[in-house]
Amino acid sequence: MSFFSDENTRLAEEIIKRYPKARSAMIPLLHLAQEQEGWVTEAAMAEIAELVGTSSAEVLGTCSFYEMFKREPVGKYLINICTTMSCALMGAADLMQHAEKALGVKSGGTTEDGMFTLEGAECQAACTEAPCLQVNYRHRYRVTADEFDAMLAELSTPDPGVPEHGVLSQIRQHIPEKNTVGALPPEEVNAPPVWLNTEEDQS
Amino acid sequence: MSDSVPNEVSVNINGAEVRAKAGEMLIAAADRAGVHIPRFCYHERMSSVGMCRMCLVDVDTGRGPMLQPSCMVPVAEGMSVDTQSEDTKRAQEGILEFLLVNHPLDCPVCDKGGECPLQDQTMAYGPGESRFVEEKRHYEKPIPISDLVHLDRERCILCDRCTRFADEIAGDPLIHFTERGNSTQVLTFPDEPFSSYFSGNTVQICPVGALTAAPYRFKARPWDLDQVESTCTTCSMGCRTAVQSSRNELVRYLGVDIESVNHGWLCDKGRFNFEATNSEERLTVPLIRDPNDERQLLGSDWGSALANAAEAILDAGSDGIGIIGGSRLTNEDAYAWSKLARSIIRTDNLDAQLGDGLPAELVHSLPPATIADACEADTVLVVGPDLKEELAILHLRLRGAATKGHTKVVEINAAPSGCEPYVERAIRCGSGEAAKYLGEILNSDDDLATRLREGSVVAVVGRSSMAESDHSSIAVAALIRDELPHATFLTALRRGNVRGALDMGLAPGVLPGRTAIDNPSSALDDIWGYTPSMKGLDTTGMLQAAAEGKIRTLVLLGADPLSDFPDRNLAAEAIQRAETVISLDNFLTASSAQADIILPTTAYGEQGGTTTNLEGRISRLTQKITPPGSVRDDWMIATELAWRLGGDLNLTSKEQIWREIEQVAPSHAGVTVERIMSEEAREGILVQESSVEYIFPSVQEPPIADGYGLRLISGRKLWDASTTTSMSPSLRPLAEAPVLKVHPTDLQRLGILSGSDVRVISTRSTENLKAVADESLERGTALLPFNQPGFGANRFIDATAAVNDIRIETL
Amino acid sequence: MGYLDGFKVTFKKLFEERVTTEYPKEKRPKPPRFHGRHVLNRYEDGMEKCIGCELCAGVCPAKCIYVRGADNPETEPVSPGERYGYVYEINYLRCIHCDLCVEACPTEAITESKLFEFSFANRSDAIYTKDELVVDDDGQPKRQPWELWHDGDDLATSGWMRATAPSGNPDYQNRVGWSGELGYGVRAPETGQQEKFPELSDLDFLTEDQAEEQH
Repeated sequence: MSFFSDENTRLAEEIIKRYPKARSAMIPLLHLAQEQEGWVTEAAMAEIAELVGTSSAEVLGTCSFYEMFKREPVGKYLINICTTMSCALMGAADLMQHAEKALGVKSGGTTEDGMFTLEGAECQAACTEAPCLQVNYRHRYRVTADEFDAMLAELSTPDPGVPEHGVLSQIRQHIPEKNTVGALPPEEVNAPPVWLNTEEDQS
Repeated sequence: MSDSVPNEVSVNINGAEVRAKAGEMLIAAADRAGVHIPRFCYHERMSSVGMCRMCLVDVDTGRGPMLQPSCMVPVAEGMSVDTQSEDTKRAQEGILEFLLVNHPLDCPVCDKGGECPLQDQTMAYGPGESRFVEEKRHYEKPIPISDLVHLDRERCILCDRCTRFADEIAGDPLIHFTERGNSTQVLTFPDEPFSSYFSGNTVQICPVGALTAAPYRFKARPWDLDQVESTCTTCSMGCRTAVQSSRNELVRYLGVDIESVNHGWLCDKGRFNFEATNSEERLTVPLIRDPNDERQLLGSDWGSALANAAEAILDAGSDGIGIIGGSRLTNEDAYAWSKLARSIIRTDNLDAQLGDGLPAELVHSLPPATIADACEADTVLVVGPDLKEELAILHLRLRGAATKGHTKVVEINAAPSGCEPYVERAIRCGSGEAAKYLGEILNSDDDLATRLREGSVVAVVGRSSMAESDHSSIAVAALIRDELPHATFLTALRRGNVRGALDMGLAPGVLPGRTAIDNPSSALDDIWGYTPSMKGLDTTGMLQAAAEGKIRTLVLLGADPLSDFPDRNLAAEAIQRAETVISLDNFLTASSAQADIILPTTAYGEQGGTTTNLEGRISRLTQKITPPGSVRDDWMIATELAWRLGGDLNLTSKEQIWREIEQVAPSHAGVTVERIMSEEAREGILVQESSVEYIFPSVQEPPIADGYGLRLISGRKLWDASTTTSMSPSLRPLAEAPVLKVHPTDLQRLGILSGSDVRVISTRSTENLKAVADESLERGTALLPFNQPGFGANRFIDATAAVNDIRIETL
Repeated sequence: MGYLDGFKVTFKKLFEERVTTEYPKEKRPKPPRFHGRHVLNRYEDGMEKCIGCELCAGVCPAKCIYVRGADNPETEPVSPGERYGYVYEINYLRCIHCDLCVEACPTEAITESKLFEFSFANRSDAIYTKDELVVDDDGQPKRQPWELWHDGDDLATSGWMRATAPSGNPDYQNRVGWSGELGYGVRAPETGQQEKFPELSDLDFLTEDQAEEQH
């Protein structure tokens, strides 16, 4: 039984080809797995290990290092409220408390309907806009309690404009064949770097 | 400035000028200069990572002193280092205070307590008091990460030694750092245990008690351990070990770092099989078969057991006796038996190998290589057993050479092996056809052919499958010798002291000191008085003769032909037919249980002497504990028997035996007792001379398999039904029940589901076994491990056939 | 002066208080830190304090202690934590009652009672096993047939003998921290080194409730 869907298996193979060493594709593949299931399952990690030729333990090590890879199921929308200094001074704690009340879960929990996961997060680099939060890593600035409620209502509509948790546009980047650094180990590449191939690019 | 020696720089460490190799890490240079810099993560056999920061020292490269981790800073000309400055001391105190923030300090219950680098360095360099009063981190403790290793994450200081070892040295990255920051911890993947063959090494290198060994758990504390240095005889690698005991019981082996062999590492079988020596199942008194009831063995005394044995030997006459085995023996024991057999019993029917090795003359005549040669050669050609299973530390050394050095390992094998992850090329050949494949490569315009012909080559040659005769290995050796005259050889013989036994003449046709039977040294002639002039039978020949009734008395020197001889039927017939079987053994094995006279012998750790590894390296064995019951050394039994046979071996002690060996064995001349007792012998004394010549027989092509049969391939596993494994309670469960592996297409063709029981038919036997599909095999082959608990592949094998085919059927 | 001078001392001593007693008819009170026969203590919940660490055996100058540890059975642990003393033997033919074992013990498991009147008729009686050393279900030392126990011999055994401060904490210098103990509850720490040994009856025992209040 393979974890990846047929389409994603093909995509995974393409992603692996982009790198001189298959192991380098580990993080993009973890993203792909998270996109498929909304979180990274053990089966996904085991399969990625096989695909990139390493041990499952190493994939687990990488996956657990990054907080944006979730190893537990999370809601459709992941709400990260910044709790670091600027936001804390501007009422992040109150906002968190309001969010907990509004969602009925504690920080770290997921609502029963599987829609929202609430988390406290470290600085999101929007200190001038405190208190801020992110929904599936998309910023909302200077969030008040009312605005938070409005946001929940908006997210509960069928098409709120925020993709589900796990969807990342970056990994869908299709690099044209002629631009790939791919397959050859770097020391064996004799041709000039691909970005110098301007003539072909213009065609 | 200093005199300019290329690749050498001069650094000033604590005011003293130290010469160091360019590129060498500062901590290594300091070590050689005798300046100890405290450290946790740095290990001289692994790459530096700078994890623990304990080795911070004041380094001045002209810009003023700065704290730098000495395991990450390469020496540079003119560098000035102060390892005792105030700043260094403050840094060390600070690091230790931090390391102890979460360390549970449960030293009284910790197996490492008393020999713990963290304890020792806290005492030596620590601040004495901690400012942290907060609650420490808590994890479940301990969790078993494999059957042999427990992990206590609370104690872990995240030095990366175990994970680095697993990845870099063992090549089994089954443990890894997980999580991040404060919750970083070493873990395995869920349900994927750290089942590396080398997991025990992580326990030894762990600088705290985070990793502890299950077989040693709470057995003793460091201060009640007593230690000697010895050599492991589990396989023929001869790894240097420290043997530790408490209250006359072996409790632990540690690897000792020697450059020429094991680099401090041990395989788990060698590390944990001390339990076999302590086993309750050990034979402690002689046993003889009850004259009134054939099925009973009676406890006896040495006098009558030896008298019976001598009588059986006398009755059989010199042509009617066969002596099988001797690889378990020390060199001295082997010499005593060689001398007994040839000068007193006057037979040449003796063989230390059980039809699963190579002819002794071939082993002696091939140009020898050392393990170090192999690790520096351009190409290592492995045509033999799966080294990971049979010579695990050789596998580790070759892996190191292939991954860190310039050596390329090329393997020719009929089945996939554990070496495949690091070999440059794994060439899959038909069983018994390795020579053909190698010949084709050498005559092609392959890059490999050029490299083999022009570069340095070390060939590791041995028996890759018990189901094929030794002809294929001999053909490979012949081909390499003819085509690649510059190649040198390591013979991949597996058993403990098999090389030493062959050197001592425990093989038909060769005398002690690697001389042919028709060419005895004059000293040997003088001392022995008599040597047979005709070459005797090897194990296969002896067993055949016994089965035909020509050999009437069989002596088994720690040998178990029923389990280890490739052809179980022949072995069983021989043991059945022989009038008297005398067994010298530690345990009641399949064969010794059927013997008529059983003489209990000393086991590893209970005997001193010397052993010889596969390179011909002689190193010392040291006795650590007193043996149980009335067991005796094998050489003592030989001298007793000689006396009862009306002769005298004139052997009185192991030391005196060695003095005689040194006199009579030409290859061992100059290897004096004094040298063996000296510091030099820690690395082992390499003996490579030989005057034996081998006449290569003409080689026949193995028959082509018919379309219905599957060619049987049978190699050994590390965890098998051998006595040292099965008599060690911790290791016994690791040996898996045998399954027959077949290519899925073949299974499909026969309409067999993977995982179901099948009937296996060979010319020798028909048995039921579980068959499993394995895509990594070639079609038309079947893989069955040789000696797993409950079932030996030797039931199917005909030892006289070049190759063995089996058929499988649904039940 | 002459030889009569020598008798001066004798005469003087005749009228002084005697220091010797008519042992065994008459017995002196024993000081609280008296080194007698050992006991192995238990916590209030009955768990054994000994964790089988062998530090006592390691420090023993007479090599009279033999300890072996083992994994605590998961269902019925003998002591808190991973390890317990599986074998514990003291050979009283060798023991010199130096108390170093008590100093070394990290859990205050081994302490000494005030019993010194015990003699053996055979060698095996002299080797006390764990069964004989560990206190009974009421926290009282188990009395062997060959031992002569007197009132107070079993009082205040645990903790008293340690000269060092627990955990090396300087705040406890000259005070002894009691650990909770089966049959006695929690006792107030001894404050300061006393000039004179207190009578055993003067010792201040706290009930568990009182101790909790103080805490």
